[in-house]
Amino acid sequence: MAEPQLKEKVEELIRDHPVLLFMKGTPEQPRCGFSMRTVGVLDQMGVEYAALDVLPALQPLREVTAEISDWQTFPQLYVKGELVGGCDIVEEMAASGELAELLGVDQPQQPAPAAQPEQPADPQQSPPIQIEKS
Amino acid sequence: MAISLDEVRLLIEAALPGAEVKVEDETGTQDHLRATVAAPQFEGLSRIDQHRLVKKAVQARFDDGSIHALSIKTEPK
Repeated sequence: MAEPQLKEKVEELIRDHPVLLFMKGTPEQPRCGFSMRTVGVLDQMGVEYAALDVLPALQPLREVTAEISDWQTFPQLYVKGELVGGCDIVEEMAASGELAELLGVDQPQQPAPAAQPEQPADPQQSPPIQIEKS
Repeated sequence: MAISLDEVRLLIEAALPGAEVKVEDETGTQDHLRATVAAPQFEGLSRIDQHRLVKKAVQARFDDGSIHALSIKTEPK
């Protein structure tokens, strides 16, 4: 059973941010390969997005997203309130042009490169969201 | 606790009768897996719904930690 306050907070975040990434770590310091790749795709798309580090509350957040989206693994990309998917789907849609269309941006010229850890943070990046465990 | 590739393939095949399933080990440690699934049940489903079906088939193995990560590639058959 998901914690009601946490679930409410997550639903609010999904409503408030047109592009929202639940990830392990932060865009500057991803803590898992799939999260790093998803950040790489979003940075290449050039859109502003909000990012939430799920690691401080991993199991509670899994329970919340299981109830909200029937999905329990991270990263999770939400666009305009809907779960798009994890790393696999985001990469596939980036390559096909569907992601650019969904985000309302032009398709980048090259396919998303493998994300390098040394890449500087995208200046369009919103500050990472922290959820305080109450 | 690692898991055999065959077990993962059988779990997915059992959940999706008629599917063509390939399971590979991405890192050699048998807990970072890649599943490629072509199934008739995917027809008309969004990518995320296709992935949900595959995930559900192996959910117990995620829960008990046998699978640490699963990359999924799906297409209708």
